[in-house]
Amino acid sequence: MPDKRITIQAARFDPDHDEKPRLQSYEIPFYDESMVVLDALNYIKSHVDGSLSYRWSCRMGICGSCGMMVNGTPKLTCNAFLRDYWPRPVVVQPLNNFPLIRDLVIDMDDFMHKLKSIKPWIIRKQEMALGAGEHRQTNEQIDDFRQFSECINCMLCYAACPVYGLNEEFLGPAAIALARRYNLDSRDQGLKDRLPVIADPEGVWECSFVGECSVVCPKGVDPAKAIQQTKLDTTMRFVLPYGNRD
Amino acid sequence: MPLGWWTRQRHYFLYTVREFTAVPLALWLLWLLVEIKRAGDGPARYSPHGSTAFVVFSVIVLLFSLYHSYTFLTLAGAIIHVKVFDRPVPSTLIDLSQFASWAVASAVVAFVLVWFGR
Repeated sequence: MPDKRITIQAARFDPDHDEKPRLQSYEIPFYDESMVVLDALNYIKSHVDGSLSYRWSCRMGICGSCGMMVNGTPKLTCNAFLRDYWPRPVVVQPLNNFPLIRDLVIDMDDFMHKLKSIKPWIIRKQEMALGAGEHRQTNEQIDDFRQFSECINCMLCYAACPVYGLNEEFLGPAAIALARRYNLDSRDQGLKDRLPVIADPEGVWECSFVGECSVVCPKGVDPAKAIQQTKLDTTMRFVLPYGNRD
Repeated sequence: MPLGWWTRQRHYFLYTVREFTAVPLALWLLWLLVEIKRAGDGPARYSPHGSTAFVVFSVIVLLFSLYHSYTFLTLAGAIIHVKVFDRPVPSTLIDLSQFASWAVASAVVAFVLVWFGR
């Protein structure tokens, strides 16, 4: 039986020589049904073209490093099986809506800045005395925010969000979901500290509930839900008497 | 982003249609305001539109309106976060309650219109 092969069309861009990205085709052996797109990229880099640049790390869908556009859809390349695309070519491009550094590597500075802006840490008005022991939580209290804590910062949601694509000032799905994770945490008392950022016009209110962020999220975080619930919460705080109490 | 970004994916296209449904709805409601003004002339001098074109227009707007309502109500399950006896109410149940409320409200409005229209 002849060896099975598959074509990978990878975006190439050298900022020192190219005006715009181009696609370069590589035909590689498809020797195992469990091969993923990341395996194909690693094969290309190891055996065909060592100059291909891309990010990857855990290769098991937990680090969020290997996010790329695969046939137009944001995916973790370690979680995109070649068998789902074969025998058609697989087009691998850098994540949409981010500046391009080189080949498949994007500039994530804006994303990191937005994550930091929502203060993703436990904020206390009064720290507990060390002798008082740890902050205790029931399983139900953890369940309140567990889903939103599953984010691996892979940025697929930002690549899928047309609002972020049209307006880079938008805070974005992952940052708002992370803010909601901390706002729902029973140990946290920092909602008012985060409100100026999340209730900003470029915060939750820029979202028009396209919902594609939740569709592409590989960890089931459902950032669209986080954003809409945050809209409701911030509105009720504004409308209800004493809604803005601590 | 290219101008045709909303044609790239089915989900983007359906989202754009969802947002667009407000336009035919607004046009039809403007017509309704005109008809209410015309009806103010009294039953002897008022006759409602009966042209085929208007009926087709109304059916198209009805379809847009139904899609508008369906998408709006199904979002409720994602937006509303309610706990009963410390357990979160499933989003499916919240959606069902919205559709049930819609059905009841529609029945009430239909009854009132028929009752006063006799």
